[in-house]
Amino acid sequence: MKTSIQSPTVLLGGMLLAGAFAAPCLGAAEAPPATFRDVPFPVIERFENFGQEHGIPHYKVHAVLKTSDGQLWIGTYNGLCQRQPDGTFKRYGPEDGLSHKMAMCLAEDTATGDLWVGTMRGLNRVSGGKITSYTQTSSGLPNNVVYGVDVVGENVWAATAAGTGAMNLKTGEWQIYDHNNSIMHEPWCYSVTHSKDKIFIGVWGGGIVEHDPKRGSFKEYRDPDGDFHYDLVPDDGPINDITSWVNWEDGVLWQSTYFGMSRYDGTGWKTWVEEKSPLLSNFVNFVWPLHRVGWIGSDKGLSVTDGTIWVNYEVGEHDEGIRTIHRPGQPPEVTQMSTALANGFVLGIYVDDDEAWFGTSHGLSRGIFAPYKKPATVAATQP
Amino acid sequence: MKTPLFWSLAVALPVSVAAAGYGYVEKPEPPAAEKDDGCASVPVDPALVNTNQTTGATYAEDEYPYYANTPDDMIPFRGVEPYYRYWTKRLPFRGPGRDYPDPPNLKSLKVGLLSPAPYGPEGARGARTKKGVVLAFEEANAARRPGQLPFEIIARDDAPLWGSAANIAVDFADNEVLGFLGTIDGDATHVALRATLKLETYMINTSDPDPTLTETQIPWLTRVFPDDRQQCFRLANLIVKQRDCKRIAILRESSRPGRVGVMHFINYIRRLGFPPVQHLFFKPGDKDITMQIDAIKAAEPDAVLFYGQPDDCGRFVKQLREAGLKRAQFFGFDRLQEASFKENAGAYAEGMTICYFFNPGRPNQVWQDFIARFQNRWGEKPDIYAAYGYDGAKLMLEAIDHAGPNRFRVRDYLAGLNEYDGVTGHMIFDGRWDNIVPITTAHFKDGAWHYDPLPELRRKPVSQTAQATPK
Repeated sequence: MKTSIQSPTVLLGGMLLAGAFAAPCLGAAEAPPATFRDVPFPVIERFENFGQEHGIPHYKVHAVLKTSDGQLWIGTYNGLCQRQPDGTFKRYGPEDGLSHKMAMCLAEDTATGDLWVGTMRGLNRVSGGKITSYTQTSSGLPNNVVYGVDVVGENVWAATAAGTGAMNLKTGEWQIYDHNNSIMHEPWCYSVTHSKDKIFIGVWGGGIVEHDPKRGSFKEYRDPDGDFHYDLVPDDGPINDITSWVNWEDGVLWQSTYFGMSRYDGTGWKTWVEEKSPLLSNFVNFVWPLHRVGWIGSDKGLSVTDGTIWVNYEVGEHDEGIRTIHRPGQPPEVTQMSTALANGFVLGIYVDDDEAWFGTSHGLSRGIFAPYKKPATVAATQP
Repeated sequence: MKTPLFWSLAVALPVSVAAAGYGYVEKPEPPAAEKDDGCASVPVDPALVNTNQTTGATYAEDEYPYYANTPDDMIPFRGVEPYYRYWTKRLPFRGPGRDYPDPPNLKSLKVGLLSPAPYGPEGARGARTKKGVVLAFEEANAARRPGQLPFEIIARDDAPLWGSAANIAVDFADNEVLGFLGTIDGDATHVALRATLKLETYMINTSDPDPTLTETQIPWLTRVFPDDRQQCFRLANLIVKQRDCKRIAILRESSRPGRVGVMHFINYIRRLGFPPVQHLFFKPGDKDITMQIDAIKAAEPDAVLFYGQPDDCGRFVKQLREAGLKRAQFFGFDRLQEASFKENAGAYAEGMTICYFFNPGRPNQVWQDFIARFQNRWGEKPDIYAAYGYDGAKLMLEAIDHAGPNRFRVRDYLAGLNEYDGVTGHMIFDGRWDNIVPITTAHFKDGAWHYDPLPELRRKPVSQTAQATPK
């Protein structure tokens, strides 16, 4: 589950920064360009790319997150980085207390403003300018390789190579969930997220495990086909049991796999595979949902869909951007863009109503939206 | 990329190959008397058949046999075209890195070796694997020309720390290895493989039989070791179709290797019309399995399949026979070839049939030369783990020599292989980078194992050197 802005102070900071980054969103009276009028989500009109020349210490950017105070953080192959007001990036590495240089995943504790960073050797809390590490031998972390992290109420959850762990932030006590004490088919966890009352764990080989902390119950979502060589029928459940990422937003659960994409809205499943849908590739690394729209990062670029209309962004042979809009019953609308993602291998995504950020295998990208009508919010509709 | 020679031969031989495959209707002729007790499995030429038996479709140049070349009558939902098939084509790696500059100030070309914990159930097999790997490195380094960097092994043993293999994979990356080898235990290999995907470091697996390992869609893995799926469909064919057994009991280790090891065997015999009459477990090291024995006897099986460590299975073979189970035929997997099986089974090992990779006493010159070199280095004969360890290491070193010190180019070379000739024989890699070359069966008779001839490949390897064809 993604975080939301909580306090007036934070809201002010966020507005200031949003103003600095200035996405061209429209008021109610303005209309988006005609070509995008039927696309019910923002369309990217150009990309800005950032690399080692901007202080990013490695090609590979695994994770990206804008926290509620407007700060942009990225996890790279060689350290955690924070974007500075001048647009450059400041690095934090093992010499600053980070438990390992490879920062894989990020989550914010919106109650405290703390940043949690999963690395290939331990979990880290960035708080008040200090980094505190939790490892397999110094805490109850199930394994040092932390692929996913989430903060849910009083607990920080870590999906690791050998189980998922939850640390109570008040007591410091850990609870470990694996194949010995849960429904988990395999203990190899790749991601963790939450809804209002449930925890969802993306398991490598075990599909998705749903946990109700109040009841202590578990439920699993598995590919009904029972075999990895084929997908027997579409839309019958998760596309595959090997979950590469799972995310929840607004009542909808999204699962990415290396075999395609799945979505569960609480009543039925929808699955997508390449060649039989506009999904760019079956090899999907990450999904970020916003307003029931999935922003899907694959090895072949970015796909954005509400389940009906798709907009794909690829990198052409000459590094040009290629945007393709798929509308049901119509030929694809292909547009060459002057700018493109830094690389088509998309590893991490952050999107809000103002802008989008993408961590790729070769640099960081910011997506600038074409003018569009922002979704109405409670605050916006109040007199 | 398959060679023109390959396709011309494959196209020229569809009729004979199909007749020799598993799609037949008639029961095969009884084996000739010289083939031990007449249990040779039906020959099959995986990857050399260019027709998909299920769909009748002809493979295109870059397509691979469906479902690990499993016989047509054992494929799930046969007769139904699934919505989507995976692994008929290989997954490309679309990420960057091939043009990244070489690491500066290199003093050696490092390769990781992940071995089982030395004191665990796989420790001895891991130690033998390591001897094969070390021999390959020593031979390669002895053959380096002036100016060439030496190869270096970064060796790490798995540890009882939970999920240790993932931590070791990260350690390999910290040491800037160009690839790594390992391991035997399926759990550890899976855990390491997941880290491998994120670290983008190629793994050659030399001895994990877990069929699910290569089904993870990770384009950073080649397995040179024929897996349990290959053994499962050959055993199913042998037990049901050749030995005409209909009441099959399974006694296997209660562990993940045990579960995934027999998983496909159960599926296959069910599809052949004879689901297991019993499927019972034991814990490694169990001495008393009276309850399981009683249940198996009550089921009146005509065949029992064993899966587990050889000492356990040997003990249970003896107990079952002594409990009065006289008529049922006994079958097992490759590990029962190890000495501790016959030590514990004693005289009751007689008549046992197992799947095995090839005859370790075969006169093949490449194999005999390897045995001589290994004996000269280590003072003992190599076993299957040492041999596949040697082949895996040789393949990795060949890839590094070909690609240079760049992990991404090493990946491209290895992931582009369709065939390879090692000391263990010819290898054929499918759409998941699994070695699906035909394996054989062995029978315990007169106190020793007797091996059936390997199914003859229709296409002979051009030579006994590497036939790597990078994509």
